[in-house]
Amino acid sequence: MSSARICPEWPQVNKSEYKGIWVYIEHQNGVIKDGSLQLIGKARELAAKINVDVSAVMIGHNLGDLVKEPIYYGADRVIYIDDEALSVYIPHLYASVIVNLVNKYKPEVVLFAATKRGRELAPYVANTLRAGITADCTDLDIDVKTRDLDQVRPTYGGNILAHIRTPNRRPQLASVRPNVFPTPPRDTNRKGEVIRESLDKLPKPNGSLLGVKPVIKGDSDLPPVEKADLVVVAGRGVAGPEGVKLLIELAKALGGTIGGSKKVTDAGWLPADRQIGQTGKTIRPTVYIGVGVSGAIQHIFGMKESKIIVAINSDPNAPIFEYADYGIVGDYRQVVQALLETLSSMRKTN
Amino acid sequence: LTIIVPVKAAVPNITAVRLDPVTHNLVREGVPLMLNPYDRNALEFALRLKDKYGGRVVTLSMAPPSGKDFLESTIGMGADEAYLITDRVFAGADTLATSYTVAMTVKKFFPSFNLIVMGEETTDSTTAHMPAQVASWLNLPYLYYVVDGEVNLEKGTIRLTRYLEDEGVYEEYEYNMPVIISVYKDSNPPRDISLSRKIQAKLSNLVKSVTNNELKLDPFCVGLRGSPTIVAKIEDAKPIPRKKQIFKGDPREAAKWLIENLTKEGVIRL
Ligand SMILES: Cc1cc2nc3c(=O)[nH]c(=O)nc-3n(C[C@H](O)[C@H](O)[C@H](O)COP(=O)(O)OP(=O)(O)OC[C@H]3O[C@@H](n4cnc5c(N)ncnc54)[C@H](O)[C@@H]3O)c2cc1C
Ligand SMILES: Cc1cc2nc3c(=O)[nH]c(=O)nc-3n(C[C@H](O)[C@H](O)[C@H](O)COP(=O)(O)OP(=O)(O)OC[C@H]3O[C@@H](n4cnc5c(N)ncnc54)[C@H](O)[C@@H]3O)c2cc1C
Repeated sequence: MSSARICPEWPQVNKSEYKGIWVYIEHQNGVIKDGSLQLIGKARELAAKINVDVSAVMIGHNLGDLVKEPIYYGADRVIYIDDEALSVYIPHLYASVIVNLVNKYKPEVVLFAATKRGRELAPYVANTLRAGITADCTDLDIDVKTRDLDQVRPTYGGNILAHIRTPNRRPQLASVRPNVFPTPPRDTNRKGEVIRESLDKLPKPNGSLLGVKPVIKGDSDLPPVEKADLVVVAGRGVAGPEGVKLLIELAKALGGTIGGSKKVTDAGWLPADRQIGQTGKTIRPTVYIGVGVSGAIQHIFGMKESKIIVAINSDPNAPIFEYADYGIVGDYRQVVQALLETLSSMRKTN
Repeated sequence: LTIIVPVKAAVPNITAVRLDPVTHNLVREGVPLMLNPYDRNALEFALRLKDKYGGRVVTLSMAPPSGKDFLESTIGMGADEAYLITDRVFAGADTLATSYTVAMTVKKFFPSFNLIVMGEETTDSTTAHMPAQVASWLNLPYLYYVVDGEVNLEKGTIRLTRYLEDEGVYEEYEYNMPVIISVYKDSNPPRDISLSRKIQAKLSNLVKSVTNNELKLDPFCVGLRGSPTIVAKIEDAKPIPRKKQIFKGDPREAAKWLIENLTKEGVIRL
């Protein structure tokens, strides 16, 4: 094999020993995360290209029948560990268990959903294997000759797509943004192999989970911006908390939720977790309605993948119109009032 | 308490970024650098612990020589010392090589640290890899998205509250120190930078420079050669084509026009 010098902190790897595609299955309270299921679908596509199997890897305690689910969604095999020592999620502990499984089975690709926990777990796994990892991919492909994973990730505010490869190390690890691939259909007639592994050496936990509590939403009864199909977004042009109130009315009338530009959340008219943009949330709703939002590049970054973009702005030259499917030039108070009235009168006649 | 805060020199304006045509890496020479905004929240977290329990806060950054200025800003904000890790051999590093260099610097200069506090992610490359990787090199526990911490000096433990945005929950953990954490970006709003403290840092040359002469890291473990990942290709992201239909005129007409279009698209229901 290649005798090129490598860092002495890295183990030598023989690339040809590594075969197959793995999906790490994240689950919480007995439910598998959508992002993990979506990856099974994508992994099937990649595996078909290079003629290998898809394995789903699951660890935890009291897993029960949950271990069969990945098969129903398209995995050929499930490798799982069910052990009391894994009843509480501790990042370095979970990561070490995955590292041990990788070292035993030697897959060539390991995929993680880029959920909050996935983003926390994956880099520790990769680093401990002294392998490369690519973050938050939005697309994946595989080179049939070299078997290199082509990992596509948006960078620098989403203006550039970087294709990242790991030509000399195995496995190749990537985290993938949830909801970029569809969830495959669930078919309970699918058959596959289920392998139970046992825990070998485990690092000291050095920590424990004391408790979990749900966030109490004080600000409004509207859903968070990343969970809604329709988001009305307030910009500086709405001139204050009164304007935001009017937009909340509109959001409710349309069955959506409310978000804001940075200027609006900085001013305290909406809580920080409703900020859309580069330093806030990235959303991909079916409908985005920006009201009094100018369309600064940092804002556009967080909403440009919305299915339909609507802009309401008094300045016909506002940059946001360049990104809009439907634009209305006018004073927001009049337009939003008219929208509310039209909606209610159209609903009455229907 | 000895708290280490690794910080990044981020590229402020992501729209004006240049990439090296050969390596596809970010061209940092000649680009003004700024402190990654979320690292100020991390530094704030560290300074609050110091205010409460005593000790010292040290910032360090692997950055080009121009990184000295923003490290002076971290002293202006309240850090006691700052280290600039700079050497041509470190250039072109991916997150594995960067985290190795940072971890080995901590190990060499601060072997008995209690806490490493990092930003949630950077605004220019946004991988959020580094904190977990530093933990992996040092073989230590770690936790992301931390919003609050309470130290028990006697027991040598820290209680950490963290926020998982996508699950909508707070979790509380207790860890033995040393531990590595990253701070949730919307928590711990940073205090102001004291200009006089920053100027003092410049005049007294408080930022120490570290090169590989001192660190003595194998050149095959750092920089481009110590990086398993390569940027194979870059392309402009294709924008989604938009209809760009604009309505000017009577607000009532405008409202009707919009609702009709959205209904036709099947995206709102009356
Ligand atoms: C590092 C960095 C990160 C940033 N991150 C973010 C981010 O995550 N999210 C974000 O949003 N911004 C971000 N920004 C800020 C961004 O550059 C803009 O300043 C901000 O998006 C502008 O907010 P706005 O559109 O609400 O306000 P403005 O730019 O002030 O625009 C107000 C708009 O309202 C219109 N208007 C005024 N009166 C009316 C009226 N009566 N009716 C209708 N329209 C009216 C005006 O024509 C104007 O277009 C960031 C900036 C930097 C430097
Ligand atoms: C287009 C492009 C795409 C890239 N994609 C990847 C990729 O997918 N995988 C990969 O391995 N590398 C990637 N890189 C390389 C990566 O950007 C660099 O290694 C970078 O220096 C560290 O990553 P980050 O900025 O994402 O840090 P993050 O992990 O997002 O930073 C988290 C925290 O780590 C600390 N930190 C970060 N950098 C430093 C530093 N230099 N010194 C001290 N502390 C620091 C800060 O506290 C920061 O808040 C990419 C580079 C380019 C140009």
